[in-house]
Amino acid sequence: MKNVTDSCVFLVHWPSAGSFGFNTDILATNLINLSVVFGVLIFFGKGVLSDLLDNRKQRILNTIRNSEELRGKAIEQLEKARARLKKVEMEADQFRINGYSEIEREKMNLINSTYKTLEQLENYKNETINFEQQKAINEVRQQVFQQALQGALGTLNSCLNNELHLRTINANIGMFGAMNEITD
Amino acid sequence: MNVLSYSINTLKGLYDISGVEVGQHFYWQVGGFQIHGQVLITSWVVIAILLGSAALAVRSPQTIPTSGQNFFEYVLEFIRDVSKTQIGEEYRPWVPFIGTMFLFIFVSNWSGALLPWKIIQLPHGELAAPTNDINTTVALALLTSVAYFYAGLTKRGLGYFGKYIQPTPILLPINILEDFTKPLSLSFRLFGNILADELVVVVLVSLVPLVVPIPVMFLGLFTSGIQALIFATLAAAYIGESMEGHH
Repeated sequence: MKNVTDSCVFLVHWPSAGSFGFNTDILATNLINLSVVFGVLIFFGKGVLSDLLDNRKQRILNTIRNSEELRGKAIEQLEKARARLKKVEMEADQFRINGYSEIEREKMNLINSTYKTLEQLENYKNETINFEQQKAINEVRQQVFQQALQGALGTLNSCLNNELHLRTINANIGMFGAMNEITD
Repeated sequence: MNVLSYSINTLKGLYDISGVEVGQHFYWQVGGFQIHGQVLITSWVVIAILLGSAALAVRSPQTIPTSGQNFFEYVLEFIRDVSKTQIGEEYRPWVPFIGTMFLFIFVSNWSGALLPWKIIQLPHGELAAPTNDINTTVALALLTSVAYFYAGLTKRGLGYFGKYIQPTPILLPINILEDFTKPLSLSFRLFGNILADELVVVVLVSLVPLVVPIPVMFLGLFTSGIQALIFATLAAAYIGESMEGHH
């Protein structure tokens, strides 16, 4: 009896054969349940996981495509800007070559026209001076004539008596008669 | 006597199906220490799975990723996201650590739940998830402790110990206690979850071997995954907390 219980105790503490080996008891190793769990996991998990991964891949593809497009556009714009720069540079060169001669010509034109204007102004000035001179001379002449006339008139009036007056009138009548005869 | 031997034989037959071996370990003698061989064996298998699959997936990296590379990049992004949320700006150096924690715990938990370890019989003890041994989980928790101490000390120098009297010096004993309870809770949470799930499945299998354990096995997969995520998130949170300071 004691041996039996002793061996029972022995069995309790050292259960199996006490060495490495393979357990072929399917129920104990839980293989059926494990395979069911595994199967369900793969079945549902595959769908979810492949969705996730596909989304990620699509996102990556889109990002790459977008950045390629942007890069292409940026390169285009760079090319356009460069072409414009070249054109402007050429025009600037041309201006530089032609520009100097043009500047010289403009300068000469300006100088000439200024000279002409100056000349014209000189002429005007001279004419005005002459005109004023003439005016002044005329005025003086007028004054002189007036004075002379007044003097003559005075002397005439002073030394004019009846006899002289008669003779003058007779002379004038004779002159006018002679003129009349000439014009007839 | 015959009746007794007959009942003993039946008992033995029953016992063969319903053997639950908690606390039985497969001891190896290394130096002066006895170590749990079965935990090491399963840990090596987990490490081999992780390294092998990673090496396979990144053999020829391409710009547009193929399925394996895509999957691993997704996992990496997930881990980076967890670290970034918890640690903040300087999360980059800690991604490998958090990633290792998460992946090791996750793969070891799921391998314990999914792979048919019981096919291989050991002289003592049995093969199961390496995280069902308190030594493994305590080791992981202590690593996390060391990690957040290291993070705090390198970031703030000896001013790190000023955090013990934040916000008020009255809380000093509680803050010191936290340094002990953090690794304790981390290790026991993980250990308890994994071992308990394993025990429930084994007991159910010993009672009704065929269909009934299946929902519990799914529950086990779910909770062990969550536990891996929780461990990694908490580790990252402790690291972030010790690095943030009040400046």
